[in-house]
Amino acid sequence: MRDKVLETKLRLVSLQLENWKKLHDLITYGLDKAKPIISSEQERQFTEIRSNLLQETEYILRELNIVAEVSGKAMSVLQRGVSVRGVRDLTSDEIRRLETDWNAAFTRLGLMQGQLKARRRELAEQSVFDYYWSQLRNRYFRRPATAH
Amino acid sequence: MLILNADPVFEDRALAILDENGELDIQVVRNLSEAVSALIGENFDGLIIEGEARLALEQATNVRQHFPSLTIACLLYDRRGSEIEAIAREQNIELLSMTRSHRRLQGSLKRFVQSLDSNAGTAAEGIDPCHSLIGNLNQFSAAEILQMSCLSQRSGRFTFKSGRGNSEIYLQQGAVRHAIFGSLEGEAAVAEIFRWRQGRFYFEEGIISQEQTVNRPWAHLLIDNLQKLDETLELVSV
Repeated sequence: MRDKVLETKLRLVSLQLENWKKLHDLITYGLDKAKPIISSEQERQFTEIRSNLLQETEYILRELNIVAEVSGKAMSVLQRGVSVRGVRDLTSDEIRRLETDWNAAFTRLGLMQGQLKARRRELAEQSVFDYYWSQLRNRYFRRPATAH
Repeated sequence: MLILNADPVFEDRALAILDENGELDIQVVRNLSEAVSALIGENFDGLIIEGEARLALEQATNVRQHFPSLTIACLLYDRRGSEIEAIAREQNIELLSMTRSHRRLQGSLKRFVQSLDSNAGTAAEGIDPCHSLIGNLNQFSAAEILQMSCLSQRSGRFTFKSGRGNSEIYLQQGAVRHAIFGSLEGEAAVAEIFRWRQGRFYFEEGIISQEQTVNRPWAHLLIDNLQKLDETLELVSV
């Protein structure tokens, strides 16, 4: 069976991860001293991705119930990385911080995607009857916690 | 199925409906350049472009120039005028409306997906060991294979088989004589096959077509189609 809520969450997390990857590609390019030219097209892409992330991150994290964990780090990346050229001009401490925060946000989202995919696979193996039966069983026949 | 939606997080009614179909593989892109890039990968039976009528149709018309056999639908957020309908008809683009009624929207998307199922051809097997040339389009593009055969003045029939269906190109003395792919014939069919990057092909020596739908020399076709391919690739880099 397929769970609508799970499918929506999976779609949201995939879209969010896609944008974080694209942002990372451009940040990496900006930090690469061997590539001196930053085109206006790259700056345009960066701004577009950043604007998508600014609009969507808070909403998606809330839908995924990880807003408290990830929001601060995500916003830190978006506030530090204002443009590809801006990333290039950051101090080494700020770059390290940017990379750490990006990694923390990306890791949490990646883990979430994995968990949702695993749940989807479990559900795919269940029939609708199995699913509701297990829900009922959990609700009414759950063994009470024993006191020690 | 490829979906072009500029705001897939907040404008997700159609996506939520399509998600319910477990058998459908969906990829979402946010702009035309990403869509063309994905379509060049050639894994899609259909494309849905969501948005305001004028912009969605402009994007669909643009895609149609580069992918003549692709099934395209525009899911329009606003009302369609008669001018929009006329252009869509001319370009063979289906128009769907983002109706308020969930059930109606579900119905029209379901119909569109079903129409894809009926169009999709399966890559038939059955390659005969006596075929003089057999291969895979992942390694050699159709353009490379045709170039090689035309230079060596071959006569015979090329059959290309991919998820999109089967197509045939007939050569006579190193020139393309006839090409057919679904409802497309002649140069339009050659242009379509030219872009294929997945599928299989084989060549049967000596089979000549009675019909002639291509009249230009191979070199001209090659230059024109390579130019078209470059134009398509330019869209990706925009």
